[in-house]
Amino acid sequence: MKAGRAILALAAVAALAGVPWYGSDVLVQFGINTLLLAVLAQGWNVIGGYTGYASFGNSVFYGLGSYGVAIAMVQWELPFAVGLAFGVALAVAFALLLGLPVLRLRGHYFAIATLALAQVMTAIVSNIALAGQNIGLVLPPLNNDPLFYELSLGLLVLATLTVAWLTRSKFGFGLIAIRENEEGAAVMGVNTTLYKVAAFALSGAFSALAGGIHAYWITFLDPESAFDIGLNVKMIIMAVFGGAGTILGPVVGAFSLSAISELLSSEVTSAAGLFFGAVIVAAVVLMPRGLTDLLRRYRKSGWRYFIENIRAHKL
Amino acid sequence: MNLLAQILVNGILLGGLYAVMAQGLALVWGVLNIVNLAHGAFIMLGAYASWYLYTDLGVDPFLGLPVTAAALFVLGYALQRGLLNLIVRAPMFNTLLITFGLEVVLTYLAQLAFSADFRAINPPYAGNSYALGPVTLPMARLAAFGVALALTLGMWLFLLHSRLGRAIRATAQNLVAARLYGVEPRHLYAVTFGLGLALAGAAGGLYGTVSQINPYIGATLTAKCFAISIIGGLDNPLGVMVGGLFLGIIESLTTLYVGPTFADVASFGILVLVLFLRPSGLLGRAA
Amino acid sequence: MTAILEIRNVTRRFAGLVAVNQVSFTLGEGEILGLIGPNGAGKTTLVSLISGTLEPTHGEILYQGRPIGNLPAYRRARLGIGRTFQIMRPFPGLSVLDNVAVGALFGRGGGQPDLAKAREQARACLDFVGLGRAAGQRAEELGGPGRKRLELAKALAMQPRILLCDEVMAGLNLVEIDEVIEVIRKLRAAGISVLVIEHVIKAIKSLSDRLLVLHHGEKIADGAPDEVLADAEVVQAYLGRQRA
Repeated sequence: MKAGRAILALAAVAALAGVPWYGSDVLVQFGINTLLLAVLAQGWNVIGGYTGYASFGNSVFYGLGSYGVAIAMVQWELPFAVGLAFGVALAVAFALLLGLPVLRLRGHYFAIATLALAQVMTAIVSNIALAGQNIGLVLPPLNNDPLFYELSLGLLVLATLTVAWLTRSKFGFGLIAIRENEEGAAVMGVNTTLYKVAAFALSGAFSALAGGIHAYWITFLDPESAFDIGLNVKMIIMAVFGGAGTILGPVVGAFSLSAISELLSSEVTSAAGLFFGAVIVAAVVLMPRGLTDLLRRYRKSGWRYFIENIRAHKL
Repeated sequence: MNLLAQILVNGILLGGLYAVMAQGLALVWGVLNIVNLAHGAFIMLGAYASWYLYTDLGVDPFLGLPVTAAALFVLGYALQRGLLNLIVRAPMFNTLLITFGLEVVLTYLAQLAFSADFRAINPPYAGNSYALGPVTLPMARLAAFGVALALTLGMWLFLLHSRLGRAIRATAQNLVAARLYGVEPRHLYAVTFGLGLALAGAAGGLYGTVSQINPYIGATLTAKCFAISIIGGLDNPLGVMVGGLFLGIIESLTTLYVGPTFADVASFGILVLVLFLRPSGLLGRAA
Repeated sequence: MTAILEIRNVTRRFAGLVAVNQVSFTLGEGEILGLIGPNGAGKTTLVSLISGTLEPTHGEILYQGRPIGNLPAYRRARLGIGRTFQIMRPFPGLSVLDNVAVGALFGRGGGQPDLAKAREQARACLDFVGLGRAAGQRAEELGGPGRKRLELAKALAMQPRILLCDEVMAGLNLVEIDEVIEVIRKLRAAGISVLVIEHVIKAIKSLSDRLLVLHHGEKIADGAPDEVLADAEVVQAYLGRQRA
């Protein structure tokens, strides 16, 4: 990474880290939500963007992470860090057990299977006594938003660095090969099953950590909100809008879409969703490779960028 | 024993309705390779259309179905021609995203236009029912089932035996060859999508007679239609029928013997099993 | 000559169609074995059976004396079996160099863990096949002949012991064909045993030590190229009618 870029990145992180000091309380809360969504998007990026398996069920890992922290802290009175580790362990176990059959499916079948699994988890968890069943669990309160903010930022930096590592490692190359041509990758010596499951588990680990932090911050969780299906589409849209399969794409996507969404809901309440949907539709047609690709190519092609995209994809 | 029989009958009647809901999705998915996440929202629109026809114009919901279907056909044709044709050759994932965006837009538009109140279509004969031995057949549900059956058979005949139906299937299988034969793909694609939405609209009209409608029913219905299409198999309208009946019966049984919240778990659990064990569905060929 | 690859009575059925029927032959170490046959004869199926994309319905495949019939494709790649695809399959989003680097990262013995070293190896392979200048291009920008060479380079980067070449000369002009022949000869000189599937009879005649003919999934000839090509059955099967 060139020195100029590295300095820029450090400056950006430093600026973000300083928000609890120069920003309002509302901004800090907005920040935590956005940062955690960015982590989810980045986690999805590993399995969806780099490996080419678009999971619609990463909310399961998020929920497992949330419940991991909640159960560890409430039922067993263990510290937060242990809870986080427990949540990650749950997520990885899930990825290993169910990843094997699910990752044999391709394309939209994989997407649907993961979505179906996500739907089922809510109902299953609602019946586990240890998890507080339908009522959920209440965690010990910790009123320290700046701390959660810095934790979330740290997690996002970790996730992004991991993705950056992917692009220059053998593991990452294997994933990309799988995405580009799975059979070709196998014939060249890539153990596709192992790599896919590992990517799924890695993706799950980050989602679980995000869920764990969120649970402790919110202090309360129940099956519906912990395994919120809507998160799936949010993280996918953010990653794709910013640019799936790139290092900064999910971050850019999460930040920009959160900002837009926030602006809209403060201006015109019900039109927010409408605009959001319209943005998605327009983006898929005009800039399917996401914002980062747009920024890169726009300098070269200008308005023709959009026309080129349409021409390449239309009937 | 009587209770079980009643539950089974309920499941079958429900299943028939589910099947026609899923037909449109399966058609568009199997033929055009478009995974329409907004399908449920279009069912919702069809339901509202029927409601307005009935409430404001006094048109019987069953007799008004062709109107609803026609309106949605036009909408579908326009959407495909004007928007979806632009991304047909993009990775399939893009259709997922764009239809998701459409779903969000439609739901909000519906909320603005119709408010979030629950509505139902209750023609005067809705309360009647037939007794058939130990079971009771509610009139509205029975009629819905009958129409659903007719539509499914119609779809099957159309796709497999009519010229237009075969042209549609040919275009889906080999675009270049179809073009060489003089088929205009943009038109055919639009017709197919229009048909898919027409079916959704008709299903919505039927749905409105047996259940309450509000702007948010779209997402759950879409999910169910997915389950049905996959369980039954995408290639064959009869497969979708089987899938629908299967789901209807399973849901009824689960609601009775386990609990209402588990109906969804059962459907999705079965979906997962089918995907793991037989992705082509109970009646489909290999995908 | 020791046999590095041995195919014994291999059969592959696809629901009703027998694509490969009781085929037996050996590939000797350092040998260039040609495989010809009309379209649909089962040649690509045979290659897929050897590389592991498909599993045989019956029969054994022995590599260096060990049975590999039920090993998955990636394990066979790690043992040193490389192949090119008739329908070319580059990794479209990657550069030409990185396409080949995948082979270096994952090839024989599990490949190379270091990306920089893998890229060096990739560059050497590209030079070997004559694609050195295209290293930075995107794989999808290469034309037909370039893609054929890319397939060779990718397989080469795996450091294979045997290379299965599936119609690497299809669609090339005479000059390009000669260049590919040169590359394959260089491969053999480097110690790789090669199985070449081709339709360009003239090229394969001069290239092969031995020639194998497949027809309707069955082996109908196996021997020196001149003899095989003069064989009446082969002539009839391949060319359709008797030639004087």
